[in-house]
Amino acid sequence: MLGRPLALAPQAGGPQVIGEVSGAAETFGVKPGMRLAEALGRCPALILIAADPVRSEAVAEQILRRLEAIGAAVEPGRPGEAFLAVEPLLGLYRTPERVLARARQALGAPARVGAGPTRLCAFTAARRMRARRPALVIGERVARRVVAELPVGILRERLGDEWERADVPETLERLGVRTLGELAALPATAVADRFGEPGMRALRMARGGDEPLLPRRPHEEIACDLALPEAASGQQLERALELLIERLLAHPARAGRTIRRLRVEAALAAGGGWRVEVTLRSASAAAERLALALAPKLAELPSPAKRLGLRAVELGPPGAGQMPLARSPEDERRGRLAEAVRQARATAGRDAVVRVLEVDPESRIPERRATLTPWNDR
Amino acid sequence: MTTGVYWPRPVEVVADGAGAPRSIAAVEVEAIREEWLVEDRWWTPKSLQRRYFEVVLVDGRSIVVFREPAEPPEAGRWFEQRA
Repeated sequence: MLGRPLALAPQAGGPQVIGEVSGAAETFGVKPGMRLAEALGRCPALILIAADPVRSEAVAEQILRRLEAIGAAVEPGRPGEAFLAVEPLLGLYRTPERVLARARQALGAPARVGAGPTRLCAFTAARRMRARRPALVIGERVARRVVAELPVGILRERLGDEWERADVPETLERLGVRTLGELAALPATAVADRFGEPGMRALRMARGGDEPLLPRRPHEEIACDLALPEAASGQQLERALELLIERLLAHPARAGRTIRRLRVEAALAAGGGWRVEVTLRSASAAAERLALALAPKLAELPSPAKRLGLRAVELGPPGAGQMPLARSPEDERRGRLAEAVRQARATAGRDAVVRVLEVDPESRIPERRATLTPWNDR
Repeated sequence: MTTGVYWPRPVEVVADGAGAPRSIAAVEVEAIREEWLVEDRWWTPKSLQRRYFEVVLVDGRSIVVFREPAEPPEAGRWFEQRA
């Protein structure tokens, strides 16, 4: 497959630029971040593939976890990209080369690794690495020269926002600025005036500057997903979401904590994936509140889904708010019921009490009408 | 969790030549109240085709059974289901 000229198609609603490209496409001069029209102009046989952000993020998560397993504090980059500080690991592995070798070994799959004093240098070193050769380390002394020789096109892969990636390098090229060395020589005021904050970030990179590493905090995954019996949309999808919310709230790793930010993911029946993140105004563990916040997002799904997933991205403090002074009879009854459920569970196991959730009540296939879902002690 | 409220359960059925149930779990069928065919997912490689019977047994129970005639491994097997 990679022997053919392939590129990831532009994402719906984003700039008309292509994503990652295969080696065969690179030989035609097609590069990631290039405008679609130009890419097709250079390679009319270019095959565009719908991006699957959900799958690529799952692979990226796996990469991060494997690197964390060697003791590294890892900062996630773009999907499939990770940065780690080599110095703290020197006590364990002695030299930067050994750290990189260990990281490569931990990743298992073929990967490009490299080291340098800044993220841009490390990225360049990784890009220049050849298969079956030791990883490249760009030292402090040569870093300035290496960066100065880089074409401004490399910013397409380094600037944060997808719109910045599309605009800044192209405008620089049009203005005749070809290398980062030439960019570094420009007055900061002129760059700020023309490009604003993205331009200043590019200038800092070109002058060898970098922000401190921001490693993520390793965390336990709280996520669940559901294979849909057929390409689903509308009410059926909402029911599936309710089921996922119940499962997420019943996840043992949540340990009574509330949820502040969630991500809904879907594998589309037509190929590719879709995802959306929702931040709640206040952290909550109430299924109704989560459903209210998430259900409208399903309308943004571009086509029917064959798999739906829900992930807790950020958790809040435990508990669901202050208790009222006086409890209503309904709350009293619920409290007793919850206590009965806890007792039944303690005696007969976690799955002793389940709830019947209607999924597709009108279905002609009876087993699709309802499903059993964990009972939450709310 | 893979089981649901309406999940079909395998059942022993003796059928007549026309494919209608004569006895279910060794209890004779008194009458067939209704019969219907469900075809679904015909647009997928794993299509679903079921012939349902709502029957009254001689002991007075009313139950629904269906036969899965479409594909192996379920081909020809009978199931009881709340419907």
